[in-house]
Amino acid sequence: MDLLLKGGILHDPVNGWEGPAEILVKGNRIEAVSISLGPVEAPALELKGKIILPGLVDAHVHLREPGGESKETIASGCAAAVAGGFTAVACMPNTDPPVDSREIVSYIKEKARHAGLARVYPLGALTRGQKGEEIAPLWELAEEGVRGFSDDGRPVMNSALMLRAMQFALVLGLPVISHCENLALSGGGVVHAGAAGYRLGLPGMPGVAEAVMVAREILLQQQVGGKLHLAHISAKESVDLLRWAKEKGVNLTSEVTPHHLLLTEEAVEGFNTNAKVNPPLRAAADREALLEALQEGLIEIIATDHAPHNPREKEADFLNAPFGVIGLETAFPLLWTKIVEQGILSLAELIKCLSIAPANLLGVPGGNLAPGMPADLVVIDPQKEGLVQPDKFYSRGRNTPFEGWRLKGFPVLTMVDGDIKMCDGKVKGFSRDFPAALENLLNNAKD
Amino acid sequence: MFPKDMLSLEDFSREALEDIFQRAAYFKQKNPDNFSSLKGKTIALSFWEPSTRTRLSFEMAVHKLGGKVVHVTPELSSEQKGESIDDTVKTLQSIGADALIFRHRTPGLFNRVASLVDIPLISGGEGCYQHPTQALLDIFTLREKGIDLAGKQVVMVGDILHSRVARSHFYAFPLFGAGLTLVGPPSLLPQELVPPGVDYSYHLEDVLPGGDIIYLLRVQKERQEKGLIPSLSEYSALYGLNEERMSLLKQEACLMHPGPVNQGIEISAIVIKNLEQFYPDRILFQDQVQNGVFVRMAVLDLLLAGRSV
Repeated sequence: MDLLLKGGILHDPVNGWEGPAEILVKGNRIEAVSISLGPVEAPALELKGKIILPGLVDAHVHLREPGGESKETIASGCAAAVAGGFTAVACMPNTDPPVDSREIVSYIKEKARHAGLARVYPLGALTRGQKGEEIAPLWELAEEGVRGFSDDGRPVMNSALMLRAMQFALVLGLPVISHCENLALSGGGVVHAGAAGYRLGLPGMPGVAEAVMVAREILLQQQVGGKLHLAHISAKESVDLLRWAKEKGVNLTSEVTPHHLLLTEEAVEGFNTNAKVNPPLRAAADREALLEALQEGLIEIIATDHAPHNPREKEADFLNAPFGVIGLETAFPLLWTKIVEQGILSLAELIKCLSIAPANLLGVPGGNLAPGMPADLVVIDPQKEGLVQPDKFYSRGRNTPFEGWRLKGFPVLTMVDGDIKMCDGKVKGFSRDFPAALENLLNNAKD
Repeated sequence: MFPKDMLSLEDFSREALEDIFQRAAYFKQKNPDNFSSLKGKTIALSFWEPSTRTRLSFEMAVHKLGGKVVHVTPELSSEQKGESIDDTVKTLQSIGADALIFRHRTPGLFNRVASLVDIPLISGGEGCYQHPTQALLDIFTLREKGIDLAGKQVVMVGDILHSRVARSHFYAFPLFGAGLTLVGPPSLLPQELVPPGVDYSYHLEDVLPGGDIIYLLRVQKERQEKGLIPSLSEYSALYGLNEERMSLLKQEACLMHPGPVNQGIEISAIVIKNLEQFYPDRILFQDQVQNGVFVRMAVLDLLLAGRSV
């Protein structure tokens, strides 16, 4: 359907737009953008006081399907995505079975199509079965449409194998996404090797366990070229290496998560398993280094590493509880309240991190609301305040360390491919209140 | 004034600990086995980790107070699953246990399961997290010897990283005014572990002369297997208390150890023999074991006082 969005403030940095705009959506595309479009034959949505952004793109989520449906399904993960303003997500291949064959890629795409909410870009395994022993069928996976390769969660320890895999990814023009962790150095750790974890008697993972692998990837990338992306950077030592790599002109990108930007190791106090994550929440100095790196542009992407678990699994003891926190439904309000409103990044810079750069990394449309582009956008209400309430999440996971935080800037409308998927917090096909919310919106629009 | 459980000493004020010591001194002075404060009460002991002295010590304490002990020997195979321990704890309460005394290798476990029941849970050692009664009996032993901890320097030597005793003492020694210096190889003594106000060194010789109390920690063979030390003998060469190093000590400095002692590793057999023969007041290992019973009696007595049968 056609729709006119008027009265809102558009932030579209790629096209240099930052101000009031009327946007005409025709079918699944942006038809026109102007300060005033004049008379238009389409229902008009009044968005006074709201902010319109290109749809958010998350380069790093775990949708768990196939094999982990008690933690999340592609449908529930996509519902969480559009609820949080994400119009596209790249899902990691550590499913069961892992994404190392055409059939699994096709299965995920089919499930995502059926869910009909966010765009889902599968990532393929870098090695067969993510076992780190032989290179996965990268060409086959690329043919089926994966947008990158990763053994996320199971770092490739064999440096020669990593080099070869990067070489083939180069030929295919797709990024390699590395989870940087030296398993011998992190061996058995469940928290940052720092004061908070040590006080609790929990085995620690030092920052250097990440940094030595960051160093390896940088050096391999110098040899190979192509696209390299470093997932969830968490340690100050890694930031130093990124700075060196940029000075040397090494072609790579990296990401940081909202939880590493906003929390420290103290969050594990009281053996809080909802703060158990890999890489671990680190010391205050690490967090400061990450914030600086983000401001300097050393780290280009913010990704959630949305890692849902069945709530029962997180009720286990800290040592045995699984790693991971969810992020799709909290990322934007967290970053708006704690990063933009605090003056750490401008909104335009945040859009680069959350939309433009991840779309570039994946080589997909997004981060751009110029006429002719797919109508993937999100409307934010900067005044809408609320508490983080895990029992209200669309995700099957409840494992957030941000429970009870009071935040602003919640998304109020998410449009994917010209279709409204979320309206006033209600997700299409998931909330029985969605049809009423949409009707209400459109009725007002006809007035 | 007393929390329901004893999992971490940090939950106890200095006054509460003084009460425990006073009670322990009373029990020790009266010693005959005719106390009755646990009469009609049943205490469940579950030790998922091997232990001789702590288990025996708790058991003796219950007996001396007139209570009964039931041993729960969990199936080690099903113990991995969190649920089975939860079930065990709830079952123990349902069948009428009045308190639980647990040892387990998982830090944070007790914190979680204690909240499932109303009866007290007393830690007999929880992973690398805490071993509160050990720290209590250490302090009790020193004070009994007439040592005022205020201004004294404790030198703690060994595998600090994996020591729950050390973590309990990070709170206990400073609470009673003692300074603490940690010594060990960097692999067993990460700097981030050292709490504010506590010193550390990698060189035993540098810190021995300043020590009033030398607290030796057990170093396990497992650390060698995991590559944290080249070998036990290499460890001993660098950190073992031998005759040469004994000569660096203050005249009156005394030695403590939570036991069991690895003779020839933390401390040489000849040093132990000499001390036992010529300076028995400077080696407190057996006093610690003996006092363990009285301190645990006091803990049981005070945590269970006023709770209905």
